[in-house]
Parts: sequence; structure tokens; C-alpha cells
Amino acid sequence: MRHEIWLAALTDELRRHGVGPDLAGHVVAEAAGHLRDSGEAPLRAFGPPDTYAAAVADSVGGPALARSVPAGPVRLRAVDITKRYGRRTVLSGVSLTVHAGQVAAVVGANGSGKSTFLGICAGLVGADAGRVELHGTVGYCPQAGGTADFLQAGEHFALIGAGRGVPREAAVRDGARRAAALDWAPGDAQARHLSGGTRQKLNLVLAGLGDPDVLLLDEPYQGFDRGTYLDFWHEVWRWRDAGRAVVVVTHLLNQLDRVDVVLDLSAGSSGVAA
Amino acid sequence: MVAEMTLRETARRRGVLVLLLVLPLAFYLARRGDHLGQSIRFVCLGLSWALATAALFVGSAARSLEPRLRLSGYRTHQLFLGRLLALWALGVALSAPYFVLILVDQQNVRYAAIAVIMLLGVLVAPLFGLAVSALLPRDLEGMLVLLMVVGLQMILDPAGSASRFLPFWYSREIGTYAIDHTSADYFDRGLLHGAVTAVLLLAVVAVAFGIRLRRRPHVRIVGGLS
Repeated sequence: MRHEIWLAALTDELRRHGVGPDLAGHVVAEAAGHLRDSGEAPLRAFGPPDTYAAAVADSVGGPALARSVPAGPVRLRAVDITKRYGRRTVLSGVSLTVHAGQVAAVVGANGSGKSTFLGICAGLVGADAGRVELHGTVGYCPQAGGTADFLQAGEHFALIGAGRGVPREAAVRDGARRAAALDWAPGDAQARHLSGGTRQKLNLVLAGLGDPDVLLLDEPYQGFDRGTYLDFWHEVWRWRDAGRAVVVVTHLLNQLDRVDVVLDLSAGSSGVAA
Repeated sequence: MVAEMTLRETARRRGVLVLLLVLPLAFYLARRGDHLGQSIRFVCLGLSWALATAALFVGSAARSLEPRLRLSGYRTHQLFLGRLLALWALGVALSAPYFVLILVDQQNVRYAAIAVIMLLGVLVAPLFGLAVSALLPRDLEGMLVLLMVVGLQMILDPAGSASRFLPFWYSREIGTYAIDHTSADYFDRGLLHGAVTAVLLLAVVAVAFGIRLRRRPHVRIVGGLS
């Protein structure tokens, strides 16, 4: 399905599901931006328009789940992060503090530096100024890539688990359990044969293996169907309830009432959240 | 674990494995009719090229996964040594049939020296391919470099000083000792060249991986993984 046709269908479906024009416009613009940047087919990236619109509508109408439970110790502290690519400043003086038992959302338009900021927090991307403190182990879910085409899901679990000191059998069991929470039963298929959404499930499961203290998730729900999208947020809340610090890069602003901390990078490439 | 998974990935690329196995055979058969000794030199070069190419693709395929593995707790040296172990094992498996072929098909050559060429190839070629993949992020650029090096290796006069800077020069030198029964100087020079090349390439791989997968200085991890 061509991008324009899919986006037009998404606009109609969002209206049909009662999503307001402002939010609908934002969602469509973000989806268009993602498709343009990634070059992916819309069906592969987001699924059918009606399913994706239903997921958006569902999350708009969902319950506010932010908790009043006191936060734990600091797990992630990013202070005055600045990043330039050539003459272009992508991030300027951005700060974020996330405690154990908190979910932070990093939001902003395409090109506002969300993924760069997450990469800087993970230590995968250098910063021109500022510092990051990570307290504990880190799990990272990239927006794309991060898996090996010719390995099966179980082999991914064993490989990542070994790095975190988890024995092979335990890692495979743990991976299968986490996959089940996302309505996925990993089989013998190699990663290259998985659909876009299932591959992202694998990515997400890998991020959570070994129960890292800090989870950095870069739009991990690309290609998820409606049910899995909701499962994903339930998984995030389970992590939060287990005392993990979770940072999610997202463009779905309707989820913001369900998170504890919001870092908005839209305004002038800078932001402070704690 | 990294070595095992690399072997599993490679074993599933059946088309690539067949090409890896056939490419040195093509080199061997190309000169078998008119010059038996030359066919030995060519098959050794073909094996090195095949292994370097395999290493190039293994390195490229792992590029997007390695930052995640690093974050998961692997040390940088565990990652590149794991890949190398797998490639060295693959190299032994690939070279063994060709050594048997030479044993059966060729007479009046120094077989032990030919075995040394092949073992040096198993050692050096994966290091060269991995070094190229670490320095050049795109497969096409890496392939062009490999083509250029192997082409030069064939064209340049092995007695000239320029050819000594090529990674597989030892192969021609020890080959001359093995095939033309020259003095042991050829063997010694070749062995020294192979060993020095291996050490230099290992250093390049270690430095390139270390830079690419380094923990950035702005990050301080407290109570986690280094």
C-alpha cells in the first residue's frame, strides 16, 4: 500500500474512532515522518490503518495510570546534554532525572533528537557537553536493528543473557516468558523471517532480559498491532512496579498522562525534566 | 558464546558457504593445466581471499548488534575474539580439503611448508577481513579494498619491496620455498612476515573495535557493567 493511501486511510480511521483533529493530525504527521525516514512499507511499520487507529483511540480513552507511590533512588541522571552534528545543534542543555519505579517519556517532533538523546544516555553516542550517570545495569531497545538476521529468537536470548551472566537455559526460559507477555511464542524462525512487529517484540524482550535496572526504549512499538501495543504499555508498567527506571521515546502524546516524567524536546531542542 | 553464535549464523548462509568452498577451487583449477606449482600459490591466495571476505561480512553483519552486546555486559575483546575464533575454525575446515587435494594431486613439493601457508592464511585472512570491516562500515567499500589487495598481490612482483606491504606476501614467499625448493631463507622471511602481519592486524582490530564500542566519557556507570 502506498504511503499516501495508507495515511489517508489512517486519517479516516482516526476520525471514525473519535480521535480529535489535533491529535489525529499529529499522529498522521508522525507516522508520515517515520515512513519517510525509515523507507518502510506502512503495513509493515504500523499494520492496517484501522488497527493502528483503534490502538491510538484505545490509548486516548484508557485510564490514567500514573501512580502516587514515592519514587526510589535515582537510576538515570542526564545533565545539560548538548549534541551537535556539524553546525546543527540537535540538543542543547537537555536534562533528565529518572528514579527507580518511574516511567519517563521523551517526546518531540521528528529530528528533535529523541533517539540521539537516548543513545547518549546509553553511552552509544557521544555528547559534546554534559554528563550522564547510570545507576545499575542497562537494557536498550533500538528503534531498528539490534538483532542478528540468521539467529533464532532463543539464540538471541542465550547470547544477550550470557552477557548479563544468565545461564543459557534460564535466559531462554526468561525470554519465552517475556515473549508470551507480548502475545508471542518464539519458534525456530530466524530473525530475518520475522515480521517487523515480531522483530520489535524480540528487540523488546532482549532489552528486558536479565532484569536491568534502567530500560531505554526507542519507539519500540513500531509495527505492533493494537493488542500488542497495549501489552507493551502493560509491560512498561510492570517494569515500573518492579522498581525499574524506564525511559520511552514516543510520539504518541496520548500516553503522557500515564507516565511519571515527560521530557519534551520539541521546543528549541532543549528541555529539563525531573 | 559469541564464537558459537557466529558459527551458527555462518552455517546458515549455505549459499555463501558453497561459494567460499568453490572460490579457491576455481583459483586452483585456473592454473592447474599449465603450471602445477602456480596453482598451489593461487589456491592459497584464493583461500585467504575467501576467508577475508567471510570475515568482512561477519563483521558487517554484527555491526548493529555489537553495541547492544556491549551494553549487555560483553567486553570489547570478547566480541572480536569470539568472531575471530569462529572464523579461524571455519578457516581450518575450509583449508583442510584443499591440503588433502594438494597431497593427492601434486608431487615433489614441500607439503609441510604448504600446510604452514594455509595455517598462516587461516590466521591472517580473518584478521584482515575483520580489520577492513571495522574500518570501513559499508560492505561495498570493504569488498573493493579486498579486491584491490588480492589483485595487487597477483600483479606485483613478489621480489619487489612494495609487495611486502601486502598482507598475503608470506604466501608467495613460502610458496616459492615449497614449490621451487629454494633456500630456507624464503620460508623464514615468509613466516616472519605472516607473524608480523597477524600481530599488526590484531592490533588494528583491537583498536578499531575499542574506539567504535568505547564507553563515551560523558557516561558514568555506578554499580553496573563497565
